[in-house]
Amino acid sequence: MQPTRTGRAGIVDLLDRILDKGLILNADLIISLAGVPLIAVSLRAAIAGVETMQRYGMMKELLGAALPPPSGPT
Amino acid sequence: MTDKGLYLYCVAFPSATLSAKREDLGIKGIQGENVFVFQTPTLLVVVAPCEQSFESEDMQTVSQWVLVHQAVVDLAWEKFDTVVPFSFGTVIVAKEGKSAHENLLEWLEKEQENLKSKGDKLKGKAEYGIQISWDPARVAPRIVKTDLEIQNLEKEMASKSSGTAYLLKQKLAALVGKRMEQAADVYFNELYQKIKDHVEDIRVEKVRKDEPPRQMLMNLSCLLPKGEAGRLGDELDKIVKMEGFFVRFTGPWPPYSFVS
Repeated sequence: MQPTRTGRAGIVDLLDRILDKGLILNADLIISLAGVPLIAVSLRAAIAGVETMQRYGMMKELLGAALPPPSGPT
Repeated sequence: MTDKGLYLYCVAFPSATLSAKREDLGIKGIQGENVFVFQTPTLLVVVAPCEQSFESEDMQTVSQWVLVHQAVVDLAWEKFDTVVPFSFGTVIVAKEGKSAHENLLEWLEKEQENLKSKGDKLKGKAEYGIQISWDPARVAPRIVKTDLEIQNLEKEMASKSSGTAYLLKQKLAALVGKRMEQAADVYFNELYQKIKDHVEDIRVEKVRKDEPPRQMLMNLSCLLPKGEAGRLGDELDKIVKMEGFFVRFTGPWPPYSFVS
């Protein structure tokens, strides 16, 4: 079985990762590194999760656009 | 422009140092600005100028932002050995006389040991997603046939009057339900152990709602050397042969789930 990044499963997995994971400059970091400001892009509240995105029809947009696969050997 | 923010895409650890302190990545970011790579003594950071605050309710726009974010991280991943990606929408701003750039450098200096150790751990690795679902109606017959208690109950039902048989039917349904729950646990543990043997690190994620009649049993993020998912794929081929089981295998992804 080969892994894929296309299709509905690919979109869901992408969103799960980039919205909820990855390095975060969070409140703890602000406290421990006093003076380093950050702003969370406000759209994060608008796209709070995959279910929300489905409700707002975003899945269709993303599926239509197709995820670019990474090039190079997989 | 001192009032611009910097959108953070990822930190990167290339196999060789760049020739310049700063160079273009060769792609536009989510607000159309050129994405560039900035080099510090210990790492690279992939950023683009952006408005300090922005939002949109237009789904097409937001979808584009998501795709562009991933395209930038993918390109950086292609160019550099190892990337540690930021969460979508991470922006550093100017404040109290310091530019976003100055704030970024300050943060990177404070975090450099931490980031370097993450980079070492993730060197050459990629993340793969595995979701295993089952159709209970297709799996249940096998479980029912081999369960002594259920078989005895069915035999008992056959010899009873309709009223008693009805009550026994309720009891049977509850028992089958319980056995299916137990089977789900057993399958989870068995399949988790099988998959774990083929990966370097693993995270158990929340199961998602699947398309009926399927139910998701497990949702995993797996870390392994990029491009070496062959044996893992072979294991999944065995699993998908099981009656009533379905497997989704996605990736390779930058290692979003393994940055902490």
